[in-house]
Amino acid sequence: MKTAITSKLLLSVLGLALLAGCNKAEEPGKPAANGAAPATSYLETIKARDKLIVGVFTDKPPFGYVDETGRYVGFDTDIGRALAKSLLGDENKVEFVAVEPASRIPFLQSDKVDLILANMTVTPERREAVEFTNPNLRVAVQALVADGSSVQKLDDLAGKTTIVTTGTTADIWLTKHHPDWKLLKFEKNSESLQALANGRGDAYAQDNLILFSWSKQNPGYRVLAEKLGDEAPIAPAVKKGNIELRDWVNTELARLGEQKYLLKLYDQYVRKELSDDTKPESVIVEGGKWQG
Amino acid sequence: MSFDVAFILSTLPAFLKAVGVTLQVGLIAIATSLLVAVLNAAILVYRTPYLQRLVKLYVELARNTPLLIQLFFVYFALPTLGLKISGFAAAIITLTFLGGAYLTEVLRAGVEAVPVAQLESGRSIGLSEGQLLRHVILPQAGILSLPSLFANFIFLLKETTVVSAVAVPELLYTTKSYIALYYKTYEMLAVLTLICVLLFLPLSLLLSRLERRLQHGQFGS
Repeated sequence: MKTAITSKLLLSVLGLALLAGCNKAEEPGKPAANGAAPATSYLETIKARDKLIVGVFTDKPPFGYVDETGRYVGFDTDIGRALAKSLLGDENKVEFVAVEPASRIPFLQSDKVDLILANMTVTPERREAVEFTNPNLRVAVQALVADGSSVQKLDDLAGKTTIVTTGTTADIWLTKHHPDWKLLKFEKNSESLQALANGRGDAYAQDNLILFSWSKQNPGYRVLAEKLGDEAPIAPAVKKGNIELRDWVNTELARLGEQKYLLKLYDQYVRKELSDDTKPESVIVEGGKWQG
Repeated sequence: MSFDVAFILSTLPAFLKAVGVTLQVGLIAIATSLLVAVLNAAILVYRTPYLQRLVKLYVELARNTPLLIQLFFVYFALPTLGLKISGFAAAIITLTFLGGAYLTEVLRAGVEAVPVAQLESGRSIGLSEGQLLRHVILPQAGILSLPSLFANFIFLLKETTVVSAVAVPELLYTTKSYIALYYKTYEMLAVLTLICVLLFLPLSLLLSRLERRLQHGQFGS
């Protein structure tokens, strides 16, 4: 009897503690909650924290991946370092948070990161949900199939199984334009590629740059020439309504453009991944200036 | 941020389907786990030589590796060894692997909790071992195991969300797909939570009622 009462008391105390946790003020380390209309300058908030928090990919070379020493690197990831250096004077004053395609926007919406630098294609739907800065890359969606596959063109995939990574442009485009096609969705790019290798689907639809890069290193696959939808810009993104941070990133992209910084990153990470006749201008958007 | 009710309504048919998949995966896994557990518990209780070591090894292995890793192993690694298993089958296999281990321990503990005096009394009035099992041990062991057994059933049902990782279109998979496509994070997570509460809470209450009813015969009220 006594123990029953004690445990009930304990339970209610625990419950209270949990409720109290919900009401607790923002932890100092986290981005401010009211991104829509910050009372103080958002950039000042970042400076006070002395750390820029950036969401990046960890399994999408050459854009965001982990190198042999365990460091987050890549074309997108290094732009995060350049931004931290400009704002806080040190390229190491950046905290990288690993995101997956489907978690990029939720991470911004729930103030887990200041900025997403994870190869996100600009689409009308996403524009409603986040604030895109000027673009840094251009991309189109294509499909990867095994060399021996009978699939020659996109329409051959009707009635077959197409693998996508949840929340990618390919996922969105196929759901919209071919709602009757069978899709198999995985959280991570690497899981989707493994699923294709295991023969769980007939094709993998994804951003072409990632497919070119992967198929160059993994023989036995070819990329269908046909594109799913138009070529589109890829851009960094901040929380909806955070105009201050967006404009600052735009200024920074323009400044980095004057230094041809993206071309430098392209040479460092991307060039060796693509075929030799690829022009850098067909992949990168220097200075944030998009020409469609 | 506004709460998009019209959007939620448009997703309900898909969620209804997902509830079906979740229940299907969960209930099959519970049944197969129970089957595995009864066999294992019998091996442990009767101290079958060699086999009981194997069962103990299995229980430790299954209980000390995370479900997600077991699932990835079956789904992504086994095909490399030439064994391709569908997402649904992989889900049932791994949930059974995990659930079977937990339920084995529950049933074994139930049998061992039957007081020795009961066995001795049974023998003293001349019951055979078979009669002892049927009339003394199993009825009591069953009732003693019920609370943990039911708790583990609910646990297995909840664990089904993990199988979204191998593209089984259950509740979490459906939720994540919608979030990824339309960015209605709050709405979809709210719907998911609500469905889970509506699904698991009544089940939990039902099971504890059933438990009280069955135990009434043993202990009185």
